[in-house]
Amino acid sequence: MAETLRRVLTRDGAAWSGEENTPVAGPPLLLLGAPGSGKTTLLFAAALEAAGEGQGPVLFLTRRPLQSLPRGTGTTRDPMRLQKIRFQYPPSTRELFRLLCSAHEAPGPAPSLLLLDGLEEYLAEDPEPQEAAYLIALLLDTAAHFSHRLGPGRDCGLMVALQTKEEADSGDVLLLALLQRYFPAQCWLQPDAPGPGEHGLRACLEPGGLGPRTEWWVTFRSDGEMMIAPWPTQAGDPSSGKGSSSGGQP
Amino acid sequence: MAAVLPAVVEQLLSEMAAAVQENARSTGLRLKFLFGSSATQALDLVDRQSITLISSPSGRHAYQVLGSSGKTYTCLASCHYCSCPAFAFSVLRKSDSILCKHLLAVYLSQVMRTCQQLSVSDKQLTDILLMEKKQEA
Repeated sequence: MAETLRRVLTRDGAAWSGEENTPVAGPPLLLLGAPGSGKTTLLFAAALEAAGEGQGPVLFLTRRPLQSLPRGTGTTRDPMRLQKIRFQYPPSTRELFRLLCSAHEAPGPAPSLLLLDGLEEYLAEDPEPQEAAYLIALLLDTAAHFSHRLGPGRDCGLMVALQTKEEADSGDVLLLALLQRYFPAQCWLQPDAPGPGEHGLRACLEPGGLGPRTEWWVTFRSDGEMMIAPWPTQAGDPSSGKGSSSGGQP
Repeated sequence: MAAVLPAVVEQLLSEMAAAVQENARSTGLRLKFLFGSSATQALDLVDRQSITLISSPSGRHAYQVLGSSGKTYTCLASCHYCSCPAFAFSVLRKSDSILCKHLLAVYLSQVMRTCQQLSVSDKQLTDILLMEKKQEA
Protein backbone atom coordinates (compact mmCIF):
# COMPACT_ATOMS: atom_id res chain seq x y z
CA MET A 1 0.00 0.00 0.00
CA ALA A 2 2.94 2.30 0.52
CA GLU A 3 3.47 2.18 -3.25
CA THR A 4 0.00 3.51 -4.01
CA LEU A 5 0.43 6.25 -1.42
CA ARG A 6 3.79 7.07 -2.87
CA ARG A 7 2.19 7.35 -6.27
CA VAL A 8 -0.42 9.71 -4.83
CA LEU A 9 2.32 11.71 -3.23
CA THR A 10 4.55 11.74 -6.28
CA ARG A 11 2.04 12.20 -9.05
CA ASP A 12 2.45 15.96 -9.07
CA GLY A 13 6.16 15.45 -9.26
CA ALA A 14 5.69 13.31 -12.38
CA ALA A 15 7.77 10.60 -10.79
CA TRP A 16 5.41 7.93 -12.03
CA SER A 17 6.26 7.27 -15.65
CA GLY A 18 3.19 5.13 -16.17
CA GLU A 19 5.28 2.18 -17.28
CA GLU A 20 4.33 0.16 -14.27
CA ASN A 21 1.13 -1.38 -15.53
CA THR A 22 0.85 -3.96 -12.82
CA PRO A 23 0.81 -1.99 -9.61
CA VAL A 24 2.04 -3.93 -6.65
CA ALA A 25 0.15 -3.02 -3.55
CA GLY A 26 3.10 -3.29 -1.22
CA PRO A 27 2.91 -3.87 2.51
CA PRO A 28 -0.04 -2.74 4.64
CA LEU A 29 0.25 0.95 5.46
CA LEU A 30 -0.75 2.75 8.63
CA LEU A 31 -1.56 6.47 8.50
CA LEU A 32 -1.12 8.23 11.82
CA GLY A 33 -1.82 11.75 12.91
CA ALA A 34 -3.71 14.02 15.29
CA PRO A 35 -7.25 15.17 14.51
CA GLY A 36 -7.30 17.36 11.43
CA SER A 37 -3.95 16.18 10.16
CA GLY A 38 -5.38 15.05 6.84
CA LYS A 39 -5.65 11.29 7.28
CA THR A 40 -9.15 10.94 5.82
CA THR A 41 -8.23 13.17 2.92
CA LEU A 42 -5.14 11.17 2.12
CA LEU A 43 -7.01 7.89 2.52
CA PHE A 44 -9.64 9.08 0.09
CA ALA A 45 -7.00 10.22 -2.37
CA ALA A 46 -5.48 6.74 -2.27
CA ALA A 47 -8.95 5.27 -2.86
CA LEU A 48 -9.44 7.42 -5.96
CA GLU A 49 -5.98 6.56 -7.20
CA ALA A 50 -6.56 2.84 -6.85
CA ALA A 51 -10.05 3.11 -8.38
CA GLY A 52 -8.51 4.73 -11.43
CA GLU A 53 -6.07 1.89 -11.94
CA GLY A 54 -8.88 -0.35 -13.13
CA GLN A 55 -7.76 -3.26 -11.00
CA GLY A 56 -11.00 -3.71 -9.16
CA PRO A 57 -13.33 -2.00 -6.72
CA VAL A 58 -12.14 -0.25 -3.60
CA LEU A 59 -13.65 -0.97 -0.20
CA PHE A 60 -13.71 2.02 2.18
CA LEU A 61 -14.72 1.27 5.75
CA THR A 62 -15.49 4.01 8.22
CA ARG A 63 -17.75 4.41 11.20
CA ARG A 64 -19.81 7.31 9.92
CA PRO A 65 -20.63 8.41 6.38
CA LEU A 66 -18.30 11.17 5.26
CA GLN A 67 -20.12 14.49 5.62
CA SER A 68 -18.66 15.67 2.35
CA LEU A 69 -16.21 14.22 -0.06
CA PRO A 70 -12.71 15.16 0.99
CA ARG A 71 -10.88 17.50 -1.30
CA GLY A 72 -9.52 15.65 -4.26
CA THR A 73 -6.70 16.23 -6.65
CA GLY A 74 -7.30 17.20 -10.22
CA THR A 75 -8.93 14.72 -12.52
CA THR A 76 -9.16 12.01 -9.90
CA ARG A 77 -12.55 13.26 -8.85
CA ASP A 78 -14.27 11.98 -11.96
CA PRO A 79 -17.52 10.04 -11.31
CA MET A 80 -16.21 6.82 -12.86
CA ARG A 81 -13.64 6.53 -10.12
CA LEU A 82 -16.08 7.48 -7.38
CA GLN A 83 -18.42 4.74 -8.52
CA LYS A 84 -15.72 2.15 -7.95
CA ILE A 85 -15.43 3.01 -4.26
CA ARG A 86 -17.76 0.95 -2.07
CA PHE A 87 -18.43 2.58 1.27
CA GLN A 88 -19.49 0.56 4.27
CA TYR A 89 -20.16 1.91 7.75
CA PRO A 90 -19.80 -0.71 10.49
CA PRO A 91 -21.28 1.14 13.49
CA SER A 92 -19.49 -0.87 16.18
CA THR A 93 -16.43 -3.01 16.74
CA ARG A 94 -18.61 -6.09 16.74
CA GLU A 95 -20.03 -5.15 13.35
CA LEU A 96 -16.54 -4.57 12.00
CA PHE A 97 -15.52 -8.02 13.24
CA ARG A 98 -18.58 -9.49 11.56
CA LEU A 99 -17.79 -7.72 8.31
CA LEU A 100 -14.19 -8.92 8.26
CA CYS A 101 -14.97 -12.49 9.34
CA SER A 102 -17.59 -12.84 6.61
CA ALA A 103 -15.65 -11.03 3.89
CA HIS A 104 -15.13 -14.29 2.00
CA GLU A 105 -18.91 -14.77 1.79
CA ALA A 106 -19.51 -11.47 -0.01
CA PRO A 107 -20.33 -11.92 -3.68
CA GLY A 108 -18.85 -9.92 -6.51
CA PRO A 109 -15.28 -9.13 -7.50
CA ALA A 110 -12.68 -8.84 -4.79
CA PRO A 111 -11.50 -5.31 -3.99
CA SER A 112 -8.03 -4.28 -5.02
CA LEU A 113 -7.74 -1.96 -2.02
CA LEU A 114 -9.15 -2.14 1.48
CA LEU A 115 -9.21 1.06 3.53
CA LEU A 116 -10.29 1.68 7.11
CA ASP A 117 -10.65 5.15 8.61
CA GLY A 118 -10.79 5.71 12.35
CA LEU A 119 -9.23 2.52 13.70
CA GLU A 120 -8.89 4.23 17.08
CA GLU A 121 -12.67 4.38 17.46
CA TYR A 122 -13.01 0.64 16.99
CA LEU A 123 -10.08 -0.14 19.27
CA ALA A 124 -11.48 2.11 22.00
CA GLU A 125 -14.37 -0.30 22.55
CA ASP A 126 -12.02 -3.20 23.30
CA PRO A 127 -9.04 -2.06 25.30
CA GLU A 128 -7.55 -5.56 25.64
CA PRO A 129 -4.43 -6.01 23.50
CA GLN A 130 -5.50 -9.47 22.34
CA GLU A 131 -8.78 -8.12 20.98
CA ALA A 132 -6.93 -5.28 19.28
CA ALA A 133 -4.46 -7.77 17.83
CA TYR A 134 -7.26 -9.94 16.50
CA LEU A 135 -8.98 -6.99 14.85
CA ILE A 136 -5.76 -5.90 13.18
CA ALA A 137 -4.85 -9.47 12.22
CA LEU A 138 -8.30 -9.91 10.66
CA LEU A 139 -7.79 -6.77 8.58
CA LEU A 140 -4.61 -8.30 7.21
CA ASP A 141 -6.23 -11.69 6.76
CA THR A 142 -9.16 -10.14 4.88
CA ALA A 143 -6.79 -8.30 2.54
CA ALA A 144 -4.83 -11.53 2.08
CA HIS A 145 -8.01 -13.35 1.13
CA PHE A 146 -8.91 -10.64 -1.40
CA SER A 147 -5.39 -10.94 -2.83
CA HIS A 148 -5.93 -14.65 -3.23
CA ARG A 149 -9.22 -14.07 -5.03
CA LEU A 150 -7.68 -11.49 -7.35
CA GLY A 151 -5.41 -14.19 -8.68
CA PRO A 152 -1.70 -14.55 -9.29
CA GLY A 153 0.31 -11.37 -9.70
CA ARG A 154 -2.34 -9.18 -8.13
CA ASP A 155 -2.65 -7.99 -4.60
CA CYS A 156 -5.22 -6.27 -2.45
CA GLY A 157 -3.60 -3.40 -0.60
CA LEU A 158 -4.48 -2.38 2.93
CA MET A 159 -4.41 1.15 4.31
CA VAL A 160 -5.60 2.06 7.78
CA ALA A 161 -5.83 5.48 9.46
CA LEU A 162 -5.41 5.90 13.20
CA GLN A 163 -5.92 9.10 15.12
CA THR A 164 -3.22 9.78 17.68
CA LYS A 165 -3.52 11.85 20.82
CA GLU A 166 -1.38 14.86 21.62
CA GLU A 167 0.40 12.97 24.37
CA ALA A 168 0.80 9.22 24.47
CA ASP A 169 0.23 7.25 27.66
CA SER A 170 1.54 3.77 28.47
CA GLY A 171 -1.45 2.11 26.80
CA ASP A 172 -0.73 4.00 23.63
CA VAL A 173 2.90 2.86 23.65
CA LEU A 174 1.76 -0.74 23.84
CA LEU A 175 -0.73 -0.20 21.06
CA LEU A 176 1.88 1.43 18.88
CA ALA A 177 4.27 -1.52 19.37
CA LEU A 178 1.43 -3.82 18.39
CA LEU A 179 0.61 -1.77 15.32
CA GLN A 180 4.22 -1.64 14.20
CA ARG A 181 4.36 -5.40 14.42
CA TYR A 182 1.54 -5.74 11.90
CA PHE A 183 2.08 -2.58 9.87
CA PRO A 184 5.71 -2.35 8.82
CA ALA A 185 4.97 0.70 6.66
CA GLN A 186 3.76 3.88 8.34
CA CYS A 187 3.02 7.44 7.34
CA TRP A 188 2.95 10.14 9.99
CA LEU A 189 0.96 13.29 9.26
CA GLN A 190 1.16 16.59 11.10
CA PRO A 191 0.27 20.16 10.31
CA ASP A 192 3.51 21.82 9.37
CA ALA A 193 5.06 23.98 6.72
CA PRO A 194 8.60 24.58 5.57
CA GLY A 195 8.43 28.33 5.97
CA PRO A 196 6.80 31.07 8.04
CA GLY A 197 3.35 32.14 6.86
CA GLU A 198 2.84 28.88 5.00
CA HIS A 199 0.35 26.14 5.83
CA GLY A 200 -0.08 22.49 5.02
CA LEU A 201 0.76 19.01 6.19
CA ARG A 202 4.02 17.24 6.64
CA ALA A 203 3.79 13.58 5.61
CA CYS A 204 6.62 11.36 6.74
CA LEU A 205 6.50 8.04 4.92
CA GLU A 206 8.41 5.10 6.38
CA PRO A 207 8.10 2.13 4.02
CA GLY A 208 9.39 -0.24 6.68
CA GLY A 209 12.72 -1.32 5.31
CA LEU A 210 11.58 -1.48 1.72
CA GLY A 211 12.85 1.96 0.92
CA PRO A 212 14.20 5.11 2.45
CA ARG A 213 12.14 7.38 4.64
CA THR A 214 10.73 10.22 2.58
CA GLU A 215 8.97 13.40 3.57
CA TRP A 216 6.38 15.36 1.67
CA TRP A 217 4.61 18.67 1.94
CA VAL A 218 0.86 18.53 1.32
CA THR A 219 -1.10 21.75 0.81
CA PHE A 220 -4.55 22.74 -0.36
CA ARG A 221 -5.23 25.57 -2.73
CA SER A 222 -8.13 27.93 -2.19
CA ASP A 223 -10.23 25.86 -4.62
CA GLY A 224 -9.57 22.73 -2.59
CA GLU A 225 -6.98 21.19 -4.91
CA MET A 226 -4.36 19.15 -3.07
CA MET A 227 -0.76 19.87 -3.99
CA ILE A 228 2.10 17.58 -3.06
CA ALA A 229 5.79 18.32 -3.16
CA PRO A 230 8.86 16.78 -1.60
CA TRP A 231 9.62 18.35 1.74
CA PRO A 232 12.52 20.77 1.32
CA THR A 233 15.70 19.27 2.72
CA GLN A 234 17.00 20.80 5.91
CA ALA A 235 20.48 21.52 4.64
CA GLY A 236 20.77 25.10 3.51
CA ASP A 237 17.08 25.73 3.99
CA PRO A 238 16.80 29.19 5.51
CA SER A 239 13.24 28.58 6.67
CA SER A 240 13.98 25.44 8.64
CA GLY A 241 14.10 27.28 11.92
CA LYS A 242 10.63 26.21 12.96
CA GLY A 243 12.00 23.86 15.56
CA SER A 244 9.24 21.29 15.50
CA SER A 245 10.67 19.18 12.72
CA SER A 246 10.57 15.81 14.42
CA GLY A 247 7.53 16.29 16.61
CA GLY A 248 5.56 13.61 14.86
CA GLN A 249 8.04 10.78 15.14
CA PRO A 250 7.51 8.02 17.69
CA MET B 1 0.57 -10.93 1.28
CA ALA B 2 2.17 -13.64 3.38
CA ALA B 3 3.38 -13.34 6.92
CA VAL B 4 7.00 -12.37 6.97
CA LEU B 5 9.27 -14.61 8.99
CA PRO B 6 12.91 -13.80 9.57
CA ALA B 7 15.04 -15.53 6.94
CA VAL B 8 16.84 -17.56 9.57
CA VAL B 9 13.50 -18.92 10.76
CA GLU B 10 12.38 -19.79 7.25
CA GLN B 11 15.60 -21.66 6.58
CA LEU B 12 15.49 -23.47 9.86
CA LEU B 13 11.89 -24.55 9.29
CA SER B 14 12.88 -26.09 5.96
CA GLU B 15 15.87 -27.85 7.45
CA MET B 16 13.80 -29.00 10.37
CA ALA B 17 11.20 -30.50 8.07
CA ALA B 18 13.87 -32.35 6.14
CA ALA B 19 15.58 -33.50 9.32
CA VAL B 20 12.42 -34.78 10.90
CA GLN B 21 11.61 -36.69 7.78
CA GLU B 22 15.05 -38.25 7.89
CA ASN B 23 14.76 -38.90 11.60
CA ALA B 24 17.76 -36.71 12.40
CA ARG B 25 17.76 -34.96 15.76
CA SER B 26 20.56 -32.40 15.46
CA THR B 27 18.46 -29.67 13.90
CA GLY B 28 16.37 -29.74 17.03
CA LEU B 29 19.20 -28.01 18.88
CA ARG B 30 19.06 -24.97 16.64
CA LEU B 31 15.30 -24.92 16.84
CA LYS B 32 15.50 -24.92 20.61
CA PHE B 33 18.07 -22.13 20.52
CA LEU B 34 15.72 -19.91 18.56
CA PHE B 35 12.47 -20.81 20.18
CA GLY B 36 13.29 -22.33 23.52
CA SER B 37 10.90 -24.81 24.97
CA SER B 38 8.27 -23.84 22.40
CA ALA B 39 10.30 -25.86 19.90
CA THR B 40 9.87 -29.25 21.55
CA GLN B 41 6.27 -28.50 22.34
CA ALA B 42 5.61 -27.45 18.75
CA LEU B 43 7.20 -30.63 17.41
CA ASP B 44 5.08 -32.57 19.82
CA LEU B 45 1.93 -30.90 18.51
CA VAL B 46 2.92 -31.80 14.96
CA ASP B 47 3.63 -35.40 15.97
CA ARG B 48 0.27 -35.70 17.62
CA GLN B 49 -1.53 -34.38 14.52
CA SER B 50 -2.92 -31.52 16.55
CA ILE B 51 -3.03 -29.01 13.69
CA THR B 52 -6.03 -28.75 11.44
CA LEU B 53 -6.23 -26.68 8.28
CA ILE B 54 -9.77 -25.45 7.94
CA SER B 55 -10.63 -24.51 4.39
CA SER B 56 -13.77 -23.21 2.73
CA PRO B 57 -15.02 -23.04 -0.87
CA SER B 58 -14.12 -19.35 -1.00
CA GLY B 59 -10.45 -20.21 -0.59
CA ARG B 60 -10.20 -18.48 2.77
CA HIS B 61 -8.75 -20.68 5.43
CA ALA B 62 -7.54 -20.72 9.01
CA TYR B 63 -5.79 -23.12 11.34
CA GLN B 64 -6.91 -24.66 14.60
CA VAL B 65 -4.50 -26.24 17.02
CA LEU B 66 -5.52 -28.59 19.80
CA GLY B 67 -3.41 -27.44 22.71
CA SER B 68 -1.99 -29.67 25.39
CA SER B 69 -4.64 -28.43 27.80
CA GLY B 70 -7.36 -29.71 25.52
CA LYS B 71 -8.35 -26.23 24.41
CA THR B 72 -8.50 -25.41 20.73
CA TYR B 73 -6.81 -22.24 19.49
CA THR B 74 -7.32 -20.47 16.20
CA CYS B 75 -4.32 -19.26 14.22
CA LEU B 76 -4.26 -17.00 11.20
CA ALA B 77 -1.51 -17.94 8.77
CA SER B 78 -1.61 -14.82 6.60
CA CYS B 79 -0.21 -12.85 9.49
CA HIS B 80 1.05 -13.86 12.92
CA TYR B 81 -1.92 -14.36 15.17
CA CYS B 82 -2.88 -17.04 17.69
CA SER B 83 -5.73 -16.86 20.16
CA CYS B 84 -3.74 -18.46 22.97
CA PRO B 85 -2.82 -16.49 26.11
CA ALA B 86 0.89 -17.14 25.53
CA PHE B 87 0.71 -15.25 22.25
CA ALA B 88 -0.99 -12.33 23.92
CA PHE B 89 1.47 -12.22 26.76
CA SER B 90 4.84 -13.14 25.31
CA VAL B 91 4.53 -11.86 21.83
CA LEU B 92 2.41 -8.78 22.20
CA ARG B 93 3.43 -7.48 25.58
CA LYS B 94 6.91 -8.62 26.31
CA SER B 95 7.92 -8.96 22.68
CA ASP B 96 10.58 -11.52 23.53
CA SER B 97 9.16 -14.55 21.74
CA ILE B 98 8.99 -14.65 18.00
CA LEU B 99 6.13 -17.12 17.88
CA CYS B 100 4.01 -19.12 20.28
CA LYS B 101 4.24 -22.91 20.10
CA HIS B 102 0.93 -23.15 18.22
CA LEU B 103 2.04 -20.79 15.45
CA LEU B 104 5.38 -22.57 15.29
CA ALA B 105 3.53 -25.87 14.98
CA VAL B 106 1.38 -24.40 12.19
CA TYR B 107 4.43 -23.25 10.23
CA LEU B 108 6.18 -26.56 10.77
CA SER B 109 3.18 -28.48 9.54
CA GLN B 110 2.98 -26.19 6.49
CA VAL B 111 6.58 -26.90 5.60
CA MET B 112 6.20 -30.60 6.28
CA ARG B 113 2.85 -30.65 4.51
CA THR B 114 1.30 -32.69 7.24
CA CYS B 115 -1.79 -31.62 9.08
CA GLN B 116 -5.39 -32.63 9.38
CA GLN B 117 -7.72 -31.18 6.82
CA LEU B 118 -11.24 -30.03 7.43
CA SER B 119 -13.56 -28.56 4.84
CA VAL B 120 -16.32 -26.29 6.04
CA SER B 121 -18.82 -24.04 4.34
CA ASP B 122 -18.15 -20.34 3.93
CA LYS B 123 -20.72 -19.60 6.61
CA GLN B 124 -19.14 -22.05 9.02
CA LEU B 125 -15.74 -20.44 8.53
CA THR B 126 -17.27 -17.07 9.37
CA ASP B 127 -18.62 -18.52 12.60
CA ILE B 128 -15.27 -20.05 13.48
CA LEU B 129 -13.49 -16.74 12.95
CA LEU B 130 -16.18 -14.86 14.88
CA MET B 131 -16.03 -17.23 17.81
CA GLU B 132 -12.58 -15.98 18.66
CA LYS B 133 -14.06 -12.59 19.41
CA LYS B 134 -14.59 -12.55 23.11
CA GLN B 135 -18.21 -13.07 24.02
CA GLU B 136 -19.92 -9.97 25.35
CA ALA B 137 -20.23 -10.24 29.11
